[in-house]
Amino acid sequence: MDETVAEFIKRTILKIPMNELTTILKAWDFLSENQLQTVNFRQRKESVVQHLIRLCEEKRASLNDAALLDIIYTQFHQHQKVWDVFQMSKGPGEDVDLFDMKQFKNAFKKILQRALKNVTVSFRETEENAIWIRIAWGTQYTKPNQYKPTYVVYYSQTPYAFKSSSTLRRNTPLLGQALTIASKHHQIVKMDLRSRYLDSLKAIVFKQYNQTFETHNSTTPLQERSLGLDINMDSRIIHENKVEKERVQRITQETFGDYSQPQLEFAQYKLETKFKSDLNGSILAEREEPLRCLIKFSSPHLLEALKSLAPAGIADAPLSPLLTCIPNKRKNYFKIRDK
Amino acid sequence: MEQANPLRPDGESKGGVLAHLERLETQVSRSRKQSEELQSVQAQEGALGTKIHKLRHLRDELRAAVRHRRGSVKARIANVEPNRTVEVNEQEALEEKLENVKAVLQAYHFTGLSGKLTSRGVCVCISTAFEGNLLASYFVDLVIQKPLRIHHHSVPVFIPLEEIAAKYLQTNIQHFLFSLCEYLNAYSGRKYQADRLQSDFAALLTGPLQRNPLCNLLSFTYKLDPGGQSFPFCARLLYKDLTATLPTDVTVTCQGEEALSTSWEEQRASHETLFCTKPLHQVFASFARREKLDGSGLLIDCFHCTGNTSEK
Repeated sequence: MDETVAEFIKRTILKIPMNELTTILKAWDFLSENQLQTVNFRQRKESVVQHLIRLCEEKRASLNDAALLDIIYTQFHQHQKVWDVFQMSKGPGEDVDLFDMKQFKNAFKKILQRALKNVTVSFRETEENAIWIRIAWGTQYTKPNQYKPTYVVYYSQTPYAFKSSSTLRRNTPLLGQALTIASKHHQIVKMDLRSRYLDSLKAIVFKQYNQTFETHNSTTPLQERSLGLDINMDSRIIHENKVEKERVQRITQETFGDYSQPQLEFAQYKLETKFKSDLNGSILAEREEPLRCLIKFSSPHLLEALKSLAPAGIADAPLSPLLTCIPNKRKNYFKIRDK
Repeated sequence: MEQANPLRPDGESKGGVLAHLERLETQVSRSRKQSEELQSVQAQEGALGTKIHKLRHLRDELRAAVRHRRGSVKARIANVEPNRTVEVNEQEALEEKLENVKAVLQAYHFTGLSGKLTSRGVCVCISTAFEGNLLASYFVDLVIQKPLRIHHHSVPVFIPLEEIAAKYLQTNIQHFLFSLCEYLNAYSGRKYQADRLQSDFAALLTGPLQRNPLCNLLSFTYKLDPGGQSFPFCARLLYKDLTATLPTDVTVTCQGEEALSTSWEEQRASHETLFCTKPLHQVFASFARREKLDGSGLLIDCFHCTGNTSEK
């Protein structure tokens, strides 16, 4: 086994927390059950890692096997990366998408290898028809850097792919090209949507964040569900503004629904607008050029936070459509100009 | 022994007499008390006795009154009952009607396309089926506004919903729904065939079935006699029409190029035709049946031989 491969596997296994180690090794399916049983997982981590490396050497692990382990680690720790969303489009009158997995993989690899010579490409398919692609970048003269790979998650027979944002920006156009051609599309465009939570991005992009539907078979009408604020909790408390509270609850429920919101960490608004003021003769109002400013809302769970603003009394209901349109428009980066 | 003698001389008899008188006095007072007690007890007895009489009398009166009341109530019920049964019948009829309507609404989705009005529009339910088997249901929640838009849905991501909506949603909603129905039913049918092939006929496959999300490209290798010496066939089915459940292009090749006799060529060509004209799992079902028939065919030959020899 190559020294670099051994080092790579060692560093990958060191990253894995002890409580996840057996699960990830089983998912990797490279070391056999018997081999795994010989390892004492209660030792100090360094000893466990040494033992595992020896077993990998016995089985002659290749760079491909190591790359696969790296993919599995990333699949378990998706939130450590920030994901961008890309949308592809076909030309008019294109043929029906007859996606062939083998053809796609071969085409994708070929395009990258033809351009760069030194590049490691690995694939792993998941049950939800998603293909995880790992690319380690090299150049014509240097070997691929295994420690700064890019990940792409492509949902076959859809126009969408998710890419982990990396510092090596110069390879993005090539990657886009490879993906577009291999999947038989014409164009690729980056969407203004970014988050650490791949599941939430998927829910927003495929519009799958609300999966409750009204049918004649359901017995409880959706409107009757309590909206969190139990107005009749204690009979000794009298709510003077009950009507207003109920109005706010109703509007919040219409805007945000009853389902749990997809998870985003921020929304960013770039404003280029002229200053609007009621007072005449203000210095800023006379300015010809538009003002430029950047407003960023951050939160561990932005959409849930926005949903709770009006019921908490911090903001008026209804909220600004600029805030509430985020899942619908599939954006969390906005550029606002004067019309 | 000296006895108490009232006729003794004064000193002694006084003590005796006085004592005696005392005794007599206490006797009298005792007996008087006793007789008084007896009298009071008797008086109490008498009082209780009269009370008992009174209570008994009262009880009898009340019993008579209860009997009387019951009788009159029964008579009243007998008069009222015919009206009450009519009310009950009407209510039962209404409940039955309500249950019927509810059942019809629930069974509505068996038609394949059903819907329910919502506060902002309509929630359409497309229930797919293939060969009489009810398969998955998909929902599209529409907001009735200008422009008409899809609020949310459960259509799989690889069905070109955005394309169909772009073409028909604003101009002809019926066409939109029927087109979507076509796509979903065809997808369900293809998926059903692929699933059946994998589950029911795994014995005839020599490798894993390769499929894509839309199930419009299937690639597999199979043998007619599993475990036998024959070479496997490779089949590649393309479904270019996404609204169809039968493939548009079929290629069947035989892996062992050397064994390409005319009988193999005939079989290969017939398989291609079969895949084009019949659903996938039905084709494999006929393969499985043929296997059985060939087996029994051999037996008939044997009988024929023995028949010949015995004749000789």
